[in-house]
Amino acid sequence: MIETKRATMVLIMTLLTVGTARADGDPVRGETRFQECAACHKLAADANEIGPSLHGVFTRKAGELADFRFSPAMKRSGIVWTPETLEKYIADPQGMVPANRMPYAGMTSANDRADLIAYLVQATK
Amino acid sequence: MTTKLKEVDVVIVGLGWTGGILAKELTQAGLKVVALERGALRTSENDYSLPNIRDELRYVVRHDLMQNTARDTITVRNNPQQESLPMRRLGSFLPGEVVGGSGVHWSGHTWRWTDMEFKIRSNYEERYGKKSIPNDMTIQDWGISYAELEPYYDKFEYTAAVSGKAGNIGGQIQAGGNPFEAPRARDYPLPPLTPILASEMFTAAARGAGYHPFPRPSANASQPYTNPDGAKFGGCQYCGYCQRFGCEANAKGSPHITVIPIAMRNPNFELRTHSWVTKVLKDSDGKRASGVAYTNVLNGEEFEQPATIVLLCAYAINNVHLMLLSCIGTPYDPVAQKGVIGKNYCYQTGAGATLFFEGKHFNPFMNAGGSNATIDDFHANWAFDRAPHDFLGGYIVAGGFNTPLPIGYRPVPSGTPQWGSDWKRATAKWYQTAMTINASGSVMANRYNCYDLDPTYRNAFGQPLMRMTFDYKDNEHKMGGHAAQTINNLAKSMNPTRLNPASARTDPWTVVPYQSTHNTGGTIMGTNPRDSALNKYLQSWDCHNLFVIGANAFPHNSAYNPTGPVGALAYWTADAIKNRYLKNPGPLVQA
Repeated sequence: MIETKRATMVLIMTLLTVGTARADGDPVRGETRFQECAACHKLAADANEIGPSLHGVFTRKAGELADFRFSPAMKRSGIVWTPETLEKYIADPQGMVPANRMPYAGMTSANDRADLIAYLVQATK
Repeated sequence: MTTKLKEVDVVIVGLGWTGGILAKELTQAGLKVVALERGALRTSENDYSLPNIRDELRYVVRHDLMQNTARDTITVRNNPQQESLPMRRLGSFLPGEVVGGSGVHWSGHTWRWTDMEFKIRSNYEERYGKKSIPNDMTIQDWGISYAELEPYYDKFEYTAAVSGKAGNIGGQIQAGGNPFEAPRARDYPLPPLTPILASEMFTAAARGAGYHPFPRPSANASQPYTNPDGAKFGGCQYCGYCQRFGCEANAKGSPHITVIPIAMRNPNFELRTHSWVTKVLKDSDGKRASGVAYTNVLNGEEFEQPATIVLLCAYAINNVHLMLLSCIGTPYDPVAQKGVIGKNYCYQTGAGATLFFEGKHFNPFMNAGGSNATIDDFHANWAFDRAPHDFLGGYIVAGGFNTPLPIGYRPVPSGTPQWGSDWKRATAKWYQTAMTINASGSVMANRYNCYDLDPTYRNAFGQPLMRMTFDYKDNEHKMGGHAAQTINNLAKSMNPTRLNPASARTDPWTVVPYQSTHNTGGTIMGTNPRDSALNKYLQSWDCHNLFVIGANAFPHNSAYNPTGPVGALAYWTADAIKNRYLKNPGPLVQA
């Protein structure tokens, strides 16, 4: 009985971590995860390539950079980028902002996302 | 009025894979390089990004990344008795016209051609006797070996982010790879792409029949990758828009995201777009190329660009055209079988079946350029005895998809009306249930398949169009029959609800429907100037400072796609120029 309860608790905790930002991501592992982004996104200021520069992303509203051609969907989204909103977006870009232009299917692992966000919090300053 | 420009070390005609590789390598070696490209500069960030890139009308129907036939095209006929007519619209093949060339819109299939091709005549004579090769079949050895090219294949695969599974590392056969490939020093830089349902079903059926299926090697990055030059690739997103499109995810190995940006950051390099080279110029004694003449197609201005070394890196067909227009080397005469420029034009052949499985969902809109499994049992497998089937060469068979366009790809069972409400019902019913099995076959050189200058038609610059004389011969028809039988046996073993079977083609070749952009030959490499235009370093036998790089150098065509050896030969030529030619300019092989 106790065993079952413990199993249920573990299950609930597991379910809770899916889809929510974990605060304890590992920025070192996150740097590796960033390889999925690096072909299109640079971290230096004003370095827009196929995707917008991520420099200072956590101080911006979505679609705000003047010299990058964002999709109307992204401009209209009203999102303010925080570790939480960006984590949600990376999980399912088309789900959160339908018709946005980022050709990326999503990062499915919550742990990977937490690591990536932890890295970006440091690296985009 | 022609403006004569200041001499540079190297002028490159055409900036695709080969031009890009040479531009990067030679600028890094300290040479001043000017590249002349007919097309425009387009970049991933401005031109190949979403949503504009997913435009079938613009890129598939209107050929936005491809050669403009209103300016220059070829004339075509099946045999010397016919009158050749201009190809007024692209069809059978799609040469690129943009910075990056056809390397922008290719699918990424990257093979290593082996000594089976490079020593073709010797191999067949040794195994089947001299009489096994028909008199009109002008196949010949290439003068190069797989061992010489191996490090350069490796270099190209690591540059272009090829995903695949090795079948033979240093002589050790690797499970899951192509057991018939030649030994490689190491595995591909990236693991294979994620298989799709169609390729998994084909793999199971091929294994069941005793064949050796493997994931097709292709320059579609299966995961994020940084190549040895520092170029960054994203992982393939399986968007389905590969062939004929630039990659929206920076995941396809293309020169415009790898070698070309490196050259462009080098102060030794200059790119001039919209620059149409009309002629290679020669010194008064005709022994050296002195530069090129070109026209700016935006304003008609004409220039002469003198150069110490001239590199023709345009599409294979256009390289041959420039050689004929510039009167370098003796034009080939198929009747007397004399001369070399225009000789041994080859294409590819194929057969295909469509299988329909009620209840299956293949999701054909989700795949990569290389989303298929392949068998090589009837091509690189030298143990496959050709004698009972009476053909030389061979074919590969693949199951899966390669860019089945959401609008353009409409598989329906044979017998369905081609329009109207019955067609609409059929396409809705069968779209998700269809997969294909296709064969791609080699074409052996034939004395009558060749290029020369057309006597009648001229291009926008007043120059004669190039004339292509081509048809499949008995060898290809027999091989096609064998391939169709293999495909149909495999297809039937999979028990489809409906089957559009493969059939051998016996009708004359036509330039109208798309087949493949794998045109080879015309200025072929070889061991001596009597029967080849170039030596093994793709250096002209006639002008030692002129190199002609591309599939134009292949003496015949294989079942494999050509870009692997095209890329490897570009690196091989770059090394020959850097390490040998610069120290001692002159013929690298004595005639």
